[in-house]
Amino acid sequence: MAEANSEFVLELHGMTKRYGEVLACDNVDLKLRRGEIHGILGENGAGKSTLMRMVIGLALPDAGTMVLDGKRCRIVDPTQAAEHGIGMVHQHYSLVDALTVWENVELGEHGKLDPGATRERVVEITERYGLDVDPDATVRDLTAGMRQRVEIVKCLRHEPRIIILDEPTAVLTPSESQYLFEVLVQGVRREGWAVALVSHKLDEVLQATDRITIMRDGHVVERVLTDDADAASLARAMVGRPVTLRAAAAAAAIGAISEEAIATSSAEDSHEGEPPVLEITGASVKAADGAVLLDGLSLDVYAGEIVGVAGVEGNGQAPLTRTLSSLITLDSGTIAVNGAEVRSGRAGAMLRAGIAVIPADRHDSGCVPQMTVAENLVMSTLGEVSVRGVLQGDEISERAQGLIDEFEIHAPSPDTPLAQLSGGNQQRVVLANALSCGPKVLVATQPTRGLDVGAIEYISGRLREAADEGIAVLLMSTDLGEIAALADRILVIYRGAIIGEMARSEFDVERIGLLIGGSTAEAGVT
Amino acid sequence: MTDLATEPAEIEAAPAEPSRWRTGLEWAVLYVLSIAGALVISAGLVAVTGNSWQKVFGALLDGAFLAEGRWGNTLTVAAPLLLVALGMVVGVKAGLFNIGQEGQLLMGAMAMAFVGTKLAGPGPVLLVLGLVMGVVAGGAYAGIAGVMKYRRNVPEVISTLLLVFIAYQIVGYAITTDWFLRDTDPDRPSRAVTSAIMPEGIRLPVIRMFGNEFPIGFVIAVILAFVVAFVLVRTVWGFRFRLLGSNPKVAQKMGIAANRTGGMALFISGGFAGLAGAIMLAGGSSGFRLTTGFATNIGWQGLLVALVAGSNALASIVVAILFAALRTGSGFLASTGVDRKIVDVVQALLVLALLIPPAVMFVRRRRKALAMADEEIDLANEEER
Repeated sequence: MAEANSEFVLELHGMTKRYGEVLACDNVDLKLRRGEIHGILGENGAGKSTLMRMVIGLALPDAGTMVLDGKRCRIVDPTQAAEHGIGMVHQHYSLVDALTVWENVELGEHGKLDPGATRERVVEITERYGLDVDPDATVRDLTAGMRQRVEIVKCLRHEPRIIILDEPTAVLTPSESQYLFEVLVQGVRREGWAVALVSHKLDEVLQATDRITIMRDGHVVERVLTDDADAASLARAMVGRPVTLRAAAAAAAIGAISEEAIATSSAEDSHEGEPPVLEITGASVKAADGAVLLDGLSLDVYAGEIVGVAGVEGNGQAPLTRTLSSLITLDSGTIAVNGAEVRSGRAGAMLRAGIAVIPADRHDSGCVPQMTVAENLVMSTLGEVSVRGVLQGDEISERAQGLIDEFEIHAPSPDTPLAQLSGGNQQRVVLANALSCGPKVLVATQPTRGLDVGAIEYISGRLREAADEGIAVLLMSTDLGEIAALADRILVIYRGAIIGEMARSEFDVERIGLLIGGSTAEAGVT
Repeated sequence: MTDLATEPAEIEAAPAEPSRWRTGLEWAVLYVLSIAGALVISAGLVAVTGNSWQKVFGALLDGAFLAEGRWGNTLTVAAPLLLVALGMVVGVKAGLFNIGQEGQLLMGAMAMAFVGTKLAGPGPVLLVLGLVMGVVAGGAYAGIAGVMKYRRNVPEVISTLLLVFIAYQIVGYAITTDWFLRDTDPDRPSRAVTSAIMPEGIRLPVIRMFGNEFPIGFVIAVILAFVVAFVLVRTVWGFRFRLLGSNPKVAQKMGIAANRTGGMALFISGGFAGLAGAIMLAGGSSGFRLTTGFATNIGWQGLLVALVAGSNALASIVVAILFAALRTGSGFLASTGVDRKIVDVVQALLVLALLIPPAVMFVRRRRKALAMADEEIDLANEEER
């Protein structure tokens, strides 16, 4: 029996893992072949990461067996996995900012420190795979793409035969992603690696893999050869129902803008005579160290429209979001809702004025993981679920259950700690919390980053719906595809100010590209 | 045939979740075992110092509960411990580590002493006023740390701690200054410098039962423990505290200003310690007099109570009684000839013992999962053969 399976480097049989009431992986089988990239596709919470964590020994399976080179084995921690030739590149980097590249590579090794040998090893690996990382660079100074290369070097140092990549392109630019796949393909062809690529991005799985396993709700729902697969069928298998093309376009990290979406753009609304709902005038703020965060930023958002703010990350999106969350006090400039000025930096002032915010990082100022789902859902409307300062348990449960149903949040119960929900469901809680307090303005910064197709489609739909109900929606995103798919009007943010504006009908990728890079002259802005 | 069909079902059913009461029992057994372990080590230490551990434990038990009138004493001591712990719990839930209860307690006791010995009026009114002023004094003293934190970003851990040492000096000044609290009565029983004695009418009513007596301070503390538990979980104020403690940014966004809500939490936290001080004085500590050594580490030990109780208000009741028992029990040790310091060691061992079960449970769960995986591999290998 063992000989018959020899083409497989690693076989997983009936892997099962339960977290509390959530069955993360249910009887999953998977076989990795030498010299092949195997895509594992699924939405957030489908069980992909859990499955991989069991392979690498970070989680122990409740049931199931692993067969490595035809022999049954058990892996209890990553060190043992490394001994068996299994390496993993994690979704979230585990690098120490203050240390250099080679020091990070050496971290976690046993025995005596040998800087010379480690540096040589790093250079050797980077040269062999064309990774081009300076071993003496400090990690703090590296871009996301470079940091990932360091993670890959850490993984390759043990000469693994099986490499697992968990959502490797989540924070990479398209060209960095391209580069990563080139390195992978090279390693697979030359050294016969078996690669498991965990992803929820259809296009990269289609592009980079040889074989695809699709997971949903902890089960394997489909196995296909990549050559026989297409985006639409994969999306359907992954989500469990047909997905609209527009959301799929928005999902594509590589900003392929759907021409159709622009062509069907609604007729331009004219706002003449009608005052803007949100009016930001000359907002400026400096950080404690003197860095300019916002530099005279002005923008208007009218009722019922989605204004998209495009730009490269770090050009003022975060300070603007924080200002609208009452977290920053402006040095100068004003913010007004329906003509009434709102004081910045005063606790809850923005929320009381009707500005609800979905932040880019929900754990930063969006939700509280250690509190329950119900508590997270009612925190903006405490006054409505309490009588003379006493919380009404029944009303809270009822309200929470209503929102859980309305926003299709998958939670075992309203009293489950939020931390036990998957990322997509936590984001739905943040969205539900923002929309349930009856806002006049909805600010959404990167609302779909890191989410799967189903959740992206859902959240995009809710943003559109909110605008149709007359809410002024301000959408900040670094993903042009998302902006193109949703925004009625597009602004470009650069170094803390808005430097360009265009209506949806004038959408011009090239011009936006120039503006995002800050070249107003070439883009024809005066 | 039927056997073959039913067998796999049984195997699958085996790794089901253990029932809740069984897990509860495991926890209970672990706690009993680790506490027993601490006692065995303590007994060993006593034996090493050349004494009989039976006698020592007997003395501890007698001193804490069994001898005449002793459990009343234990409850008397438990009251301020519990109050201090409650203040700590409120602070921790709001994300604030007020560790200066020893000083806030002294301020509360000083306020009570002032009201009791300097103001005139009907006893019950003065008693209630004294308790209220105790809360205000303790709260205001912690409030200084709050002002420093929210005006100048001084961490409250440091400022509350350092304020303790200033409090010692303030009390020292008060009881050595004639116009302030010093006892100037020429007929006073001892020549030690203390405050004047609390008049009879301004002392806490005492509950007498089964030959024991304790001031109503303990009853007040237990009631407040339930109030704190209720407020934290079931009221808007408690929710705000917890939100501030869990994520200050979300709190700010939702309209909970850190300076006001956090300052309030610090005030309440210090208020509990102040109340503890007022209750100690009006309940008879140091012979109804404020002295330099009045606080007797109650403020520090109250912190420990909250810590061991896992910042849970109701669990603090039990832990406070346990710690009070160790204090009162050690009073009987002198008769056995054992150094009282051994009680400090026993206390430390008990604190450690209470921290062990959670760690053991974690390791056990992992082992169990590993063992199950092993069995499965063995089973599978046998099948293959």
